[in-house]
Formats: sequence, C-alpha cells, structure tokens
Amino acid sequence: MNRMLGEYADADAFLRAIAALRSKGYARLEAYTPYPLHGLDEALGAPRSRLARAAFVVGIAAAAGAYGLQWLVDAYLYPLDVGGRPPHFPLAFVPITFEMGVLFAAFTAFFGVLALGRLLRLWHPIFEVERIESATSDHFWLEVAAADRCFDVERTAADLRQTGAGHVALIEEVGS
Amino acid sequence: MDQALLIGSPTHAQLNTQLLEPTWMYRRGRGWLVAFGVSGALTLMLAVCVTYTVATGIGVWGNNIPVGWAFGIINFVWWIGIGHAGTFISAILYLLEQRWRNSISRFAEAMTLFAVMQAGLFPLLHLGRPWFAYWLFPYPSVMGVWPNVRSALPWDAAAITTYFTVSLLFWFIGLVPDLASLRDHAPTRTRRIVYGLFALGWRGDATSWRHYRAAYLVLAGLATPLVLSVHSIVSSDFAIGLTPGWHSTIFPPFFVAGAIFSGFAMVLTLVIPVRRVFRMHNVITLRHLENAAKLLLVTGMIVSYGYAIEYFMAWYSGERSEIYQFFHARPFGPRHTIFWLMMICNVLVPQAFWWRRARRSIPWLFAASLLINLGMWSERFVIIVQSLQREYLPSKWQAYTPTWVDLGILAGTIGFFSFLFLLFLRYVPFVSVTEMKELAHEQREVHS
Repeated sequence: MNRMLGEYADADAFLRAIAALRSKGYARLEAYTPYPLHGLDEALGAPRSRLARAAFVVGIAAAAGAYGLQWLVDAYLYPLDVGGRPPHFPLAFVPITFEMGVLFAAFTAFFGVLALGRLLRLWHPIFEVERIESATSDHFWLEVAAADRCFDVERTAADLRQTGAGHVALIEEVGS
Repeated sequence: MDQALLIGSPTHAQLNTQLLEPTWMYRRGRGWLVAFGVSGALTLMLAVCVTYTVATGIGVWGNNIPVGWAFGIINFVWWIGIGHAGTFISAILYLLEQRWRNSISRFAEAMTLFAVMQAGLFPLLHLGRPWFAYWLFPYPSVMGVWPNVRSALPWDAAAITTYFTVSLLFWFIGLVPDLASLRDHAPTRTRRIVYGLFALGWRGDATSWRHYRAAYLVLAGLATPLVLSVHSIVSSDFAIGLTPGWHSTIFPPFFVAGAIFSGFAMVLTLVIPVRRVFRMHNVITLRHLENAAKLLLVTGMIVSYGYAIEYFMAWYSGERSEIYQFFHARPFGPRHTIFWLMMICNVLVPQAFWWRRARRSIPWLFAASLLINLGMWSERFVIIVQSLQREYLPSKWQAYTPTWVDLGILAGTIGFFSFLFLLFLRYVPFVSVTEMKELAHEQREVHS
C-alpha cells in the first residue's frame, strides 16, 4: 500500500490538521503519536474499541467453564468425602471460578491489542520513513493512504504542508 | 494543589531523554556495584538454602508439630501483601483518575511482580515435595485422581498464578510504547534490536492506541477486584481453619488493608533511594511521597481497627481458648516480643503521619517505611506462629524457633527481590515515559 506521511510538531495543530483534511474529503487517515492523544479518535471518526465487550464475554465463559470443571472433577469424576461436606459445594467453588474469569478476560484484553493493532510485525513500511522515530518521542505523524479517493501525490503533499506538516514523505511499496 | 506532580514544564523530548537515559547511561558508582554484589550474594544463598531444603526435606526448617506453618507461610503472606500496593497504585488509582500514580506506577508494578515471585516460592517449598506441585492443577492422570477444589490450597494456586499472570500482562502492555521508544532512540544497534523485539512492532498508530486504551482500562478493571480477591483468598487459608486467632470473618478486609499498608511501605523503601540516585525529583515529587504517607496512615488505621475488633470479638465470644490466645498467649506467651514489635510498628509508627512535617521528611518516611515492613512481617508471625503455639489442648502447646535455613531463605528472598529490582532499574524505563508525556500535555493545556 502506498501512503504519504506528514510530521507535525504540535498536538493541537495536528488535531486541527486532521479535521481540515477530513473536511476536504480525505477518509483513509491514520495517525502515529507518542502517547494516546486526547480527542484523536473523535477527530479521526474512529469507532469505539469493542475489546472491553470481548473481554467481558470471554471472562464470563471462562468463569462458567471453571465452575463446570470444578463440578466435573469434584462432584462427578472423583467425589471425595471430606468430613461429610457435599461434593458439589458452590460456595467453595467461588474463588477458582472468579480467578479463571479474570485470567481469561485479561488474556483477551492483552492478546486483543496485539491482534487488533496488528502488532507482532517487527517491520512495517512506515519504519523506512526518515525521521519517523520522532513519532515515539515528541512528534505527531499523519498518514494518508494512496487508496484514498482524494489522494494525489502533489495535492496531498500540499494539503499536508498547508495544515502545518514540517516534513512530508511518500512511501511507495514495491509491487503495489 | 500546593505541590506539583511534575516540576517545571519539560518538553516531550526532554522527558524522553531523562526517563530513557538510565537504561543506557548508568552511573557505575561504587554504591551500585555494592548493591548488586550484596543482592547477588543473597540470591546465591537463597539457591543454596532452597537446594538444601529440597534435597533434605522441610525437616531442616524450624516447623514442629503444632507450628506446622511458620516461616513458609509468614513469608508467603508478607511478600504477596507487598505486591498488593503495586496493583493498588497501577489499577485502583488509575480507575479513580489519580494523576499522581503516573510516575510511580511502572515502578510499583515491577515491585508487585518481583514480590509475587518471592511469594510463590514459599507454598511451593512448603508442599514438602515441590516436584509434585502440578498435582494442584486439574490434569487427566491415568490414576483418575483429581484435586479437591474445596480445599484452600487449590484456591491459592489459582489466585497466585492468576495474580502473577495478570500483573505481568498489565505491566508489559504499559511498557510496550516505552520499549518502542527505546527501539527508536537507544544508542547502539544491539539495544535497538533487543528492545525492538520486546516492543512487538509497536508503531503508535491511532488504531493501536484505541485498543490499547480499552485494554488498559479492562486490565485495570480486572486487577481491582483481583487484588482484593487474592488476599481475601489468602486470608481464607486461616479463616476457614478452627485455630483460635484464625477463625474470624474480619480476616479478608483486615488482610487486604494490611497488604496495601505493607506494600506502600515497600514502595517508599524503594522509591526514596531511586529518586535520589537517578535524580528524579522533578517527576517523583514530595507530593507523591506525601500521598503515599497519607495512604499509610489510612491503611494503618484500618489495620489498627482490625486488631481492636479481633480483641473485642475474642472477649465477646466468651470462648476460653480465644480469650487465652489474645489476652495471654500473644502479649505474654512465647515470642511475645514480636507481638509488641507489631503493635509499635503498625499502630504507633504511622500515627506520626498526622503531621505534615513527618509526611514530608524524607529520613522519617524512609525509617517509617522500614519499620512498617518489619511490623507487617511481625503481624504474620503473630497470626501464624502464636496462634499455632497455643491451640485448644495444653498438651499440644509448643514454642517455635526458626532455624538458620528459615532465616537464610527469608534473607535470600529479600536479596533476590532486590537483585531483580536492580536489573529492572538498569534495563527498563522505570517511569512510564508515555504517561508522563500525557501528564505534561495535560498540564500545558491547563496552563495555556
């Protein structure tokens, strides 16, 4: 995928630039920031992350599974009489049920970020851009995908510069 | 706000340099080498004592027949309690939007991880045959034998493994953006490659941040009940037993408050020297220390209240063994010095924090944090050893004395904990650069 990137020094100017580009009709924008910038998702018009819901569902399922497993091993497969206490004893099953719910919900949240953010790819085309390392220090980068219907090498570069980008770079991938 | 959380208005680039630099520009001071040497030697001693214990059997410990738990469980509860403050700072204070947590959260989470690692060692050794520890987990064996999940031991196994795993994920996900920053800014190629591998290809794109923030919130939301549950489960190990001094419904909240109390003491023990050595006075300000002192006062008061209720309930129950336990065995019985040490360190010492001067005096904060750590270790000693020394039948009464192996393992875990912590300070940005930039950004918005 070809793309063009612009580097901005100031967070507020950066958010204004996104708004300006969106009002010009650009739709396929991506931002690279050194920290989670307040108001960025709204500016980009990104939907809310559904990770919390996924974690909730998995957590409930894991808790139910843990309860079922405890019933299976303690009440069904290997009922052990300890002081006449009932083999199926819900109160004693609570701690492990809760812990397993938490554990698997946490796994979902963690691995969810890796999957949805498409991480674990140690190399990415944008790493080839000169000065891109400022995106993890103190600069903000705006990316326009070449697939955007408003994309035009010259006009997009002009638009990025006009909104305050100090440095503009184009990435062309071989074979695309 | 009388005292800032971030002194001056450093730019993002300045913060980047100040907070990442310690990973490649460490001061090869003599103090640093001595600290490494001592903690490394203690770690070796831990290895020796553990090997000796495993090879010989836990008969080398001072445990005897009424006092079957002793150091193995005291140290376990103490270490896991210390870990709790880390989760409290990183998760509960995050949900409560307490900005002062930002600069000490990474630090406190690492403390949690390392403390839980020490804690996990003790129940494992205390099993007697640690090579069968996997029997605690439900796995299909040819014998058709399954663990009894109505017992507290599998609860502990589930609680500790979950607590450690969730703490690790929470700590690591917070670290990823900083590792990416190290990948891009560390001076040598080797460092860039190593940090780059751990950064998991983080690019800081808006999509990743969006899910990252959601995940961070979810993990904080999960860690909050988790931290309360872990020590509640630990306290159930005692509360579901019938021993005088254990069988009490106040145990879960009492243990959780004690855990956070001891953990904040440990945070201060660690943060005060680090702040000085790495000159972090602008990001870890007096306000952070003062807030920690206030929390010590609050949790210390809850712990003191717990002691009072324990006494009241013992008296109110009219049960002879309970009354004997609390009014004779603890204050005057064998090892009563440790009881009085606990009372002085946990009830009296934090009272000084009613005074602002005490909350802002670095030497006093450091001394008090050490005393409270000692006091909370004593509390676990009192609960475990003193209760078991004096059970129902006088014919079962027996005093307890630890052996050199017990003391060696305790000292060894302190050394191993310090060793891991020093490595952490050396190789990982110990103040979250990302969160400090966010804080600096917010402060600038407020001022402009």
